[in-house]
Order: sequence, then structure tokens, then C-alpha cells
Amino acid sequence: MRLINYSTGLIAIALCLLAFLVQAQDKAEKSTIKIDLAYYQLNNNLPVVKVSAKTKKEKRFMPVEGVEINLFFGSESSSGFMGRVETNSHGVGSLSLPVRFKNQFDSSSSFKFIGTLTQNNSFDDKSTELEVSKAKIELTLDEADSVRKIHAKVLTYQLGDWVPQPEIEIKLVVRRLLSDLQATEEETFTTDKNGEASADFSLNIPGDAQGNIIVAAKIDDNETYGSLVSTKTAKWGTPVAPDNSFAKRTLWATRDKTPLWLLIFPNLIIISVWGIIFYLISLISRIIKLGKTNEPV
Amino acid sequence: MSAHVNSSRITTDLLPQKFGTAGRIWTGLLLGLCLLGLYGYYRQVTLGLVVTNMRDYASWGIYISNFVFFVAISLVGSLITAIFRLAQVEWRTPLTRISEIIAVSAILFASIIIVVDMGRPERFTHLFLYSRLQSPIMWDVIVITTYLTISLLFLYFPLLPDLPILIKNSKEGSFQQKIYKFLGSFWKGTAAQFRINENAVRIISVMIIPVALGVHTITSWLFATTYRPGWDSTNFGAYFVAGAFLVGAGAVLVAMYVFRRAYKLETYITEKHFDNMSKIVVLLALVYLYFNINEYLVPAYKMKTSEEHHLRSLFTGHFARLFWTAIITSMIVPIVVLLFPKGRKPFPAFLIGILVVVGSWFKRYLIVTPTMLSPFLPMYDVPDSYKFYFPSWEEWAISTGSLAGVLLIITIFTRLFPIIPIHETIEEMEKNKFEKV
Repeated sequence: MRLINYSTGLIAIALCLLAFLVQAQDKAEKSTIKIDLAYYQLNNNLPVVKVSAKTKKEKRFMPVEGVEINLFFGSESSSGFMGRVETNSHGVGSLSLPVRFKNQFDSSSSFKFIGTLTQNNSFDDKSTELEVSKAKIELTLDEADSVRKIHAKVLTYQLGDWVPQPEIEIKLVVRRLLSDLQATEEETFTTDKNGEASADFSLNIPGDAQGNIIVAAKIDDNETYGSLVSTKTAKWGTPVAPDNSFAKRTLWATRDKTPLWLLIFPNLIIISVWGIIFYLISLISRIIKLGKTNEPV
Repeated sequence: MSAHVNSSRITTDLLPQKFGTAGRIWTGLLLGLCLLGLYGYYRQVTLGLVVTNMRDYASWGIYISNFVFFVAISLVGSLITAIFRLAQVEWRTPLTRISEIIAVSAILFASIIIVVDMGRPERFTHLFLYSRLQSPIMWDVIVITTYLTISLLFLYFPLLPDLPILIKNSKEGSFQQKIYKFLGSFWKGTAAQFRINENAVRIISVMIIPVALGVHTITSWLFATTYRPGWDSTNFGAYFVAGAFLVGAGAVLVAMYVFRRAYKLETYITEKHFDNMSKIVVLLALVYLYFNINEYLVPAYKMKTSEEHHLRSLFTGHFARLFWTAIITSMIVPIVVLLFPKGRKPFPAFLIGILVVVGSWFKRYLIVTPTMLSPFLPMYDVPDSYKFYFPSWEEWAISTGSLAGVLLIITIFTRLFPIIPIHETIEEMEKNKFEKV
């Protein structure tokens, strides 16, 4: 009997320890998350901050979907709160700088963005910062004696003035539907002491109906200035007449635009054949009528 | 048919008979298979097409093969009943109703199995509500509906003169008699009724031939209008029609033997019928073999890169065993065996008929599936299950159930109606007597 009591006591202690360990393990099971911020500005508009969230699983970084990251401009305070971003299936989300920060953005030469993750059930709290110096690209497109030239000038904002910035790697491209197409022979250029880079444009590519294409100069993921893109529209493409055949009577159009020949001939066949079928059915009714009026033979 | 047979003997011989033990077992087996198919379909409807093994590449599998097979076999109605009638082939009489009921039941299940292949069967009505005449699928819907209607009429008109005989010889007030009365109590056999009936049959005999050719040609266009290896052929219509006549004739050989044995119809379905039908099967097998050589030899000689994977999968690859078996069983063996008089005797002809039908079913499978698994762009970064296709048990159950359904309709029809036209047989006998006198 005493042995049973000892055993029961030991089992109870073991169960308590187990419950404590499981609880402790639950607390420790929160994963760590890596948050990255990136800065993107198009044509001197208000910038966009891109957020990406990753976590390490089986020695590989995997994107984290559905986490909400708080973004701040300048300081982590209620006055600097930009908004909240939820990551998509690629672990990415983005947010434009709200208009209320425009004056602050215009007058500053450098600024700080802060991304925080708090009170998440699966991940530990995390905070990350991105410091960016303000820069812009001035893009000029020239055409003289059938020679087309792209000029790009990189300027940085220092002490209330725009100053040319040398030694910046820049790309000259044409914006297409899915990605950018290299517009020049060299892939990248480095700005000279005047902050300039230029190259001939010799691509022969289709544009819109008027031949418009979008030429761009871009700085990709620069450590100090982030990603900047400046674009201009030019009639440097080959005009392409839009294909409006879908609105015409074609084989691939909607049914109200069936080609006339395909309406007329099959319908003629259908009417002829079904006309005969209805005639045959009428013969059955004639046989029935004859049967009602005649005595058996 | 022997000259000593009189009209009352013909009536007694050809009246529908009650099922014996074998008939009941056979019907029970077919019902069981149909129920299993229904259960498979219930699973498919409730769980979705994921229960099949059709995936992104092989999106047409055993159901579409079955559909093509049913459409093909249904063409026999026009061959035996219409073409033979117009060609005044006198020995056709005992075979007309057999071939017509095969045609009706097969085309009915062709339209059912196509709905089974649809992921959302409740949207079937969309085919009519939002039809586009530009789509070959719409042409198929129209032509199958037309062919089914004409085939039903072709079954019904020649049945009319038999109905008073059936009413007279059935139990008063019985279920069968009610059906017979509903269908033909008005048939008094007057000269005017006969004239209208013969006129109707003559019209249908002419009309059903282009419609039958149309139904299978358009089915072939479902494939040929799609730019894919193995289907990109201008020859497909004729190739399909030739194959259809062969499988239909093979099915008639099988049905002739089964009905002859089951209902003791040796006097009516004679060795001469087997001999003649076998010769037709040889001719049709030769024609179909000719089309097959065209379909495979010419592309194989050129061996275009885009077609190579498909052709090699058939000749020496994954489908080779099935491909050569289908060619040998449905064409080569029938040609060789049926060329000899001994091969055209009832039992060997029956066995060859089975080979033709089974080989032709697999031939349809080989027309559909290998092409789906040989896309122009290589299969890249897809799960392994996408690269191969073998039907799931639900697909087998549904397809077998549909085949059993066709046989069940034929079986029930033979229980209710004479499988050999009674009136036409009596008329033929009297005509023979008159000619002798």
C-alpha cells in the first residue's frame, strides 16, 4: 500500500514538472524574425518604404507571411507613425510616406525610417532602422542629327542645396511591361565629377500607338541613397497599331461577334436537319390520327 | 432464314423472353457496376476532380477516351440500318435493330460521360445559354443531340409494325403491355400507315448518313482543331469515321453471337450473317489500317522535334505495349483470321469481335492521353504526378459503369422488345415464298 502511495506521489511530481517544462518550452518557442527596410523613390514623388520579413527555418531564410510591421518616420513615436504594413506570401509589404510628412521630407537632407514588430504570437519583438540621404536624378533626353542621347545627373541634398554627386553607379533603361530593358551598350555607368552620366540610345523597339516609350535612369539599392528612378516619355519607339480584332467578328471573339459565315451556314444546316426531324415527328402524329380513324386491317 | 418457318413460329421465336438465371445474373452484374460507377461519381462531385488522376497536363483522360469510343460505336446504326438499306443488302434484316439499339444507347452515354468530365456539372446548361458557334465543342453538342434524336426515330419507326404483335402476345394489363400500348396502340397496319412509315424510314436512312459522318468528324475536330502533337492532322475526320465503322461492326459481331446463343436465334442469325459481317469487318479493318499507317508513318518519317516525344512514347516508349497491342488486336488479327472461311464461323467471329471492340477502346485512349503528355513546351518544375497518367479507381469505376450502362439499356430493351424485327422478318419470308412460287 505504502509503495502505491509513493508511486502516486512520484507520478504527480513528474506530471507537474512535465507541465512546467512544456509551459517553459512554449514560452521559448517564439522564433526570431529578420526585418529589412528599403527605400524607393520614383520621379521625386514621396518615397515608398518596402518591408521584407524573413525567418530562419532548417538553416534557410523563409519569407514570413501575414506579420504586421509598424513603420515610423524620424522617431518611434506617435507623431512619427507612418502606418502598419502586413506582409504578403513573399514576406513583403510596402507603404508610401504619408502626405502629412511632406514638409518634413522636403526640408531634410537625411532621414530615418524605423520598422517594429511587437506583441506577435510567433515571433520575438524586433525593431530595425534605415537611414537614407536624400538624392535625385535629373534625366534629359536629347536628339540631334538622328543621334539620341540620354543624360542623367545625380544630385544630393546638402545644407539646403542640391549638389552634384560623383561616383554613383547608375543604369539607363527603358521601362517595359515586366521589367526594365537595358537601353545602352553598357549595363551601368558611374557619374563623373559633375554627377553626370550619358550614353547614346540606339534601341529599335516597339512603343505605343504614337511610338512613346518610357526611358529611365535608376540607382539600384544604393547604401546611402536607396533606390531612385527618374523617368521620361519619348517618341523613340516604333508606333504599334493596337490590335482591335477582338472587337470584330472573329473566331476568338465573344459569341455576339461570331463571324457571319459561321452563323449563316451552320444555322442553315441546323434548320434544314431539324426541319426534317420535326416533319418526321409530324408523320408520327399523322400515323396516330390514321390509327384513330381506321379499323384494324 | 429457312424456308419452312411460318409466321406464327417467327412470332413465337422472336417475341421478347423473360430472363433466365443467366439473364438475371447478367442484369444484376450490370446494375452493380452502374451503382459502383454512381458511387465513384458521387465522390467526384463531392470531393472534386481531384479524385481523378487528371492533372494540368493530362486534363483529358479516360472519360474523353470513353466518349470518343461511344460516339464511334454509335455509328454502326447508320452503317447497318441506313447504308445497307439504301444498298438493298437483304441479309441486313436481323441486324438492323441490334445495331440501332447499340447506336442509341452508346450515343446517350456519350452525352452523359462528357458531363462526367466536367468539373462543374451543374453548369452544363451554360453550354446552351452561353454557346459560341466558334467553338468545336458547341458543334459537337449540336450534332450529338441531333444524332440521338434521329437514332431514336430510326429505332421507333421500324418498331411500330411490331407493337400490335407485342400487345396481342403480352399479358393483359401488364406493365409491358402498357408500354406497348403507349408506344403503338394506334398502329392498325393500314396501307396509309405503312406508306407513311416506309416514307419516314426512307427519309431517315438518307438523312442519318451525313449526320452520322458529321457526328464523328466533329468529334475528331475537337482534337484536330487543337495544335498538338498527334492531333495536328487534316486526315482526322476520315481516320475517326473509318475507326468508328470498324468498332461498330465488331460490336455487331459480338451482339449477334450473344443474342443468337441467348435467345436461340440460329434460324434467323445464320452462319451466312457471320460470314458477311466478318467480310465487312475485314474491309473496314483494312481501311482503318490504311489510315493508321498514314497517321503514324508519315509523321514518323519526318520525326519533327515537336512530335518526336509523342511518337517515341507510342512506338517504343511508355505506351508502346498498349499501342502495338491495340494495332494488332483491332486490325491485324481480325484481317488475318477473318480472311479464312473457318475464321468467319460464329464463335471465332465473336472472339474477333471482342478483340476489335477492346482493341478499339484502347486505341481511343491512345489517341487522347499520350498527346496530352507530350506538350510542345517541356514539362518543367512540376510534381511527378503531372508527368504521368493512370486513371484512379473512381475513373475506372465511372467508365466501367458507363459501359455497363450501355449494356444495361440494350439488355432491358431486349427484355421488352424483339431484337429482330418480327413484322419485317415475316414480310421477308412471305416475299421469298412468293418469289419461289
